Amino acid sequence: MIKVNKEDMEYQEGMTIEDILRKKKYTFRMITVIVNGRVIPKDQHSAYRIMDGDNVDVVHIMSGG
Amino acid sequence: MKIVKTKPELCNGCGACMTACSKTRYKVEDPQKSAIRVKENSEKPGSYEIIVCNHCGECIPVCNTEAMHRARNGAVRIDDVKCVGCCICVGFCPNNAIFTHPEINEPIKCIACGACTRVCPTGAIYMEEK
Amino acid sequence: MDLLEMKKAHKLLARMDYELGKVEKGYTNRTLYINLSDNTIKTKPVTEQMKEIFIGGRGFGLWYLWNAITEKTKWSDPENEIIISTGPIGGITQYPGAGKSLVVTLSPTTGSVMDNNTGGYFGPLLKFAGWDALEIQGKAEKDVIIYIDGNSGYVTIEEAPLEAVDSHLAAEQFTAMYADSEEDKRNVAVVSSGRGAENTLIGLLNFSFYDVKRGVPRMKQAARGGTGTVFRDKKIKAIIVKYSGVKGDTNGPADKQKIIDAGLRLHREIYELDKVQNRMREVGTAHLTEIMNDYDLLPVMNFQYGSHQDAVKLSSDVFKEYFTQGLPDGCWYGCSMACAKAVDNFELKTGPYKGQKVCVDAAEYETVAGVGANCAIFDPEYVIEANFYCDTYGMDIISTATSMAFVMECYERGIINKEITGGLEIKFGNKDAALELIHQMGNGYGFGKIVGQGVRRMKKIFAEEYGADPNLLNDIGMEVKGLECSQYVSKESLAQQGGYALANKGPQHDEAWLIFMDMVNKQIPTFEDKAQALFYFPLFRTWFGLNGLCKLPWNDIEPADNGLTDEPAKVPEHVRNYVDIFNGVTGKNITKEDIILQSERVYNFQRIFNLRMGYGTRKYDIPPYRFMGPVTKEEYESRAERYDNQLKELGYDIEGKTVEEKIKMLREYREDQYQKLCDAVYKRRGWTPDGVPTLETVKRLGIHFPDVVELISKHQ
Ligand code: SF4
Ligand code: SF4
Ligand code: SF4
Repeated sequence: MIKVNKEDMEYQEGMTIEDILRKKKYTFRMITVIVNGRVIPKDQHSAYRIMDGDNVDVVHIMSGG
Repeated sequence: MKIVKTKPELCNGCGACMTACSKTRYKVEDPQKSAIRVKENSEKPGSYEIIVCNHCGECIPVCNTEAMHRARNGAVRIDDVKCVGCCICVGFCPNNAIFTHPEINEPIKCIACGACTRVCPTGAIYMEEK
Repeated sequence: MDLLEMKKAHKLLARMDYELGKVEKGYTNRTLYINLSDNTIKTKPVTEQMKEIFIGGRGFGLWYLWNAITEKTKWSDPENEIIISTGPIGGITQYPGAGKSLVVTLSPTTGSVMDNNTGGYFGPLLKFAGWDALEIQGKAEKDVIIYIDGNSGYVTIEEAPLEAVDSHLAAEQFTAMYADSEEDKRNVAVVSSGRGAENTLIGLLNFSFYDVKRGVPRMKQAARGGTGTVFRDKKIKAIIVKYSGVKGDTNGPADKQKIIDAGLRLHREIYELDKVQNRMREVGTAHLTEIMNDYDLLPVMNFQYGSHQDAVKLSSDVFKEYFTQGLPDGCWYGCSMACAKAVDNFELKTGPYKGQKVCVDAAEYETVAGVGANCAIFDPEYVIEANFYCDTYGMDIISTATSMAFVMECYERGIINKEITGGLEIKFGNKDAALELIHQMGNGYGFGKIVGQGVRRMKKIFAEEYGADPNLLNDIGMEVKGLECSQYVSKESLAQQGGYALANKGPQHDEAWLIFMDMVNKQIPTFEDKAQALFYFPLFRTWFGLNGLCKLPWNDIEPADNGLTDEPAKVPEHVRNYVDIFNGVTGKNITKEDIILQSERVYNFQRIFNLRMGYGTRKYDIPPYRFMGPVTKEEYESRAERYDNQLKELGYDIEGKTVEEKIKMLREYREDQYQKLCDAVYKRRGWTPDGVPTLETVKRLGIHFPDVVELISKHQ
């Protein structure tokens, strides 16, 4: 089990940040991904592997409208 | 048309080009008012970078007022009457080759007159077909 | 008819010659007052106190209106005013989004004070012509125009019987009439409205800017709350200002270099990053449609649902094909964000201009989401057509869309029928009926006459005259304070419910848009967190309206390393830019905390203004239940898993319960949450539990004018 934006998500062997974004339908472009408190640059999202128990925050920036 | 081309390896940093440019354009000797800029390479002292417009024209469509245009001789030029000094062109030049000065309302950019090349003692800048 | 003939038909009613002013540090230090009842034109000085407390823009508008009216004034009374002002920063050319005009008036739909923030060249050119604000009181007998010549130095009021009222024509005619040549056209800015503003309560104002590349005047809208209806009620056909000679220093900045530096940082950022971020330069705000659909926030069928499988038909990729690409679409000089997209050579299929080819200022997110998704019509050409007509008729497209969506739901639920609609089968998805309704509204006949009064009045009419259940109407009629809601679904974000319903003028997202922070990022879990967000963001955004700024370049682009800062949602580097440009213009030395303080004064003043007009307490801050949660069975079922889980987590026993029972449980909980949110927000804002600024707050802010103190003392 991992946490994504404070909600539980099933962990799957080998899942990457990109997989999480797709699963959550996080299509917005102005996001910052933070895994266990560390910012993961955009160009690593497709390769970065999530570990079981990780705490992932996908911070959407726009304050909108 | 002929534009200013550079061979930075020949540049000795004397700055004569900048003085000549500002004198031609604004009747003062002030490198801050020059459309060509010579900068010492911070990592390699004694070697220089020369920045000057290559008249690629990318700044023409970003200008809201049609001040930025291609003149009949092929040079990319600013029409001072139309220009409102918004500096979009400055921010959108891929070569960072447009400059600003608080005393001058319009951005400062090369008009391909060649004044700078005529005073360069080393041949680091010269006029050549685009 | 040719322009000469039109001009010849003008009858001069009044003229004032004036000495040309000079803008010093963002101010001309005087404003222009016009009374159309007795044709007075005069100058008023701007005091230091006005600048200190109200800054400019919306602040000046509120102050003038406060002094012009009484608590009994109605929107159509002659003492009501329309005030237009940019603000000290407005008119600089070097920083994106610095040419906004702020419009303040008493609203026909809310009965209280309304503010709008719009693009176009009017506000800056007005200032450069010598005036920090234009204040119009009184009512003319026949259609008039006001003309301000900022190069020759005179103002006239003229009867103008022949020019068009509809904006796309009016803007073109007046621009051509007052420009000396094609080159001169960009120096003319026109404010106009349209026939729909006469026939509905949701009239808007169009602010023109001449597009030199397209060779047509384009328009931006001061749309909300019936401002155009007031304008036409005063019998104003157009206000025209002319000023040639805009330069980088026309705004008289104290430190120009500071502004240039900030501007260049942002231009460069937009140049490098917009293409990988929001693509504002390509598609403007239309990129939001697919995003909102993906996050279940796109209003569908009168805000019942948050997404729809056909939303792809309205995605930005579709609109990109219609928008002419590669043009510098800024609504004021220097805006490299360039979001003001347009569709060229659009052939109209309906209405009085059928068959003509026009340039349409289309389509922003609110339009696509409103007349499109919210009415379940997923057809881009219909959206563009509706956009054109709402604008040229002078009708607020947000209110039109939300009203239409409401009517469609009422029709589908059998609350109204064909007899009442005059034969219109106004169902979700029926684009012909929707366009017909827009024409009826604009031209003031048939069922359109009812719809044009907006959701609040329709609720009353449907209940009183057609025997509809008022509770259901109140739950599904998406208005607060009398203003129709803009196009985001706030159901799953408590903070946004507050962002909408607590907003001073009514539910418009320009005060606060907190859905991502709250619902997606879960950054503000507690009431205190939400209250802090509802303290900071509405104030921060208010500041744009004091200074003549656009909100978009603040957070629709962000520096590459913004995510690494302490508070990414605030975009700290851009806040620094704003501090720099304010100081660069005014020569003052404010900090980022002062931004909030400046806004807090005006924001509280506006809240008190609402109180003065008979509103401004807690009971006016409560939204219809659809803002908060599912009203109907279908809505509940569309998100059953989410709602069931929420109830379970809260400890409700939902085993064997019907949907209706579950709706009731959820409702009890959510309505209670909303009240608690109000408690927290009022406390954070320094207000009483009934939502009135305390004496202490008012004193701290320095807005304790005698009449303010007297008024709020009754509510402490
Ligand atoms: S200023 Fe820059 S963008 Fe414009 S022509 Fe020269 S190099 Fe190209
Ligand atoms: S600074 Fe002048 S030339 Fe450059 S984009 Fe702006 S108006 Fe055009
Ligand atoms: S971002 Fe768009 S609305 Fe704002 S100033 Fe620029 S062009 Fe106008």
